[in-house]
Amino acid sequence: MLLYEAGISVFGIGLMSTLVFAGAGQFMAASMLTAGATVPSIIIMTFFLNLRHLLMSSSIAPFFKKKSMPFLMLYSHTLADESYALNYTQFRTDKEWSTDSALTTNLLAYSSWVLSTILGGYIGSAFAFNATIMNYVLIAMFICMLVSQFVSRIFVIVGLVAGVLSVLLMVLLNHNIALVIAAVIASFVGYLLDERREKKQAAEGESVQNEQ
Amino acid sequence: MNSSIVILILGMAVVTYLPRFVPMLVLSNRKVPEKLVKWMSFIPVSIFSALVFSDVFFWNSEVNVHPLENVKLLPTLLVFYIAYKTQNLLWSMAFGILGISVMILFTSI
Repeated sequence: MLLYEAGISVFGIGLMSTLVFAGAGQFMAASMLTAGATVPSIIIMTFFLNLRHLLMSSSIAPFFKKKSMPFLMLYSHTLADESYALNYTQFRTDKEWSTDSALTTNLLAYSSWVLSTILGGYIGSAFAFNATIMNYVLIAMFICMLVSQFVSRIFVIVGLVAGVLSVLLMVLLNHNIALVIAAVIASFVGYLLDERREKKQAAEGESVQNEQ
Repeated sequence: MNSSIVILILGMAVVTYLPRFVPMLVLSNRKVPEKLVKWMSFIPVSIFSALVFSDVFFWNSEVNVHPLENVKLLPTLLVFYIAYKTQNLLWSMAFGILGISVMILFTSI
């Protein structure tokens, strides 16, 4: 819908959703095209924006031991924020969640994305929508996914660190890479906090044993 | 269709695919060190938080914490509350649209 307003035909939108499949990246392409950005700069920005998938793909990869190359290729192509969040949670909490269930989730999300963006292109060609609202829909989605990640206090702290850092770095660097740097640093803070918590627990466990 | 649009789409396709596929290829058949797994467990929360914060605190490309100028601030509090209460993506998006629409209407009066 936003892409249509940026001057890409409905066919182009369908092609982009099929080949690229990056919601946030496509939203960004739309806003950059509208702002008159050049093709190379949009591609570079898409790369940085998608670096988060490098981290997501790395974290979910251990669940895909001994899968065939075509399976991995298809799964990688259809990996996205939403299906990743769902699959990762399922893999960790549900013993029966298989790699096939994960791929099915991906394919469902993928096909509905392709269809709905084409539909959006048609709707966009018929109506005018407010860009602030359209962009905020994405943010509301991210907020919900963020909240679903708050499984313990450490995760809330890490979220706050990442958020504050991202704003500071955005101001300093004025570039989307700030998000990647903020996420890497904040998750390392989370790692350190978790290590400290484990050490503390181990120490408490010992003192209890000593008392007995 | 314009040829630069075709190049844009193909370029975006490549830079989207590589970061997703390479880790799958390298890490899926290998044992990943426990420390790395622990570090990576904090990546999603960091990414989503960075995406949200770096968007909602900016208005016209500048940090703006004035709740009546930056119309995204108040709806964000609402969406956080709804997301926390319902844990539901669709409700969060619906209240997000509602909240931001009300703010845009309110500030345009």
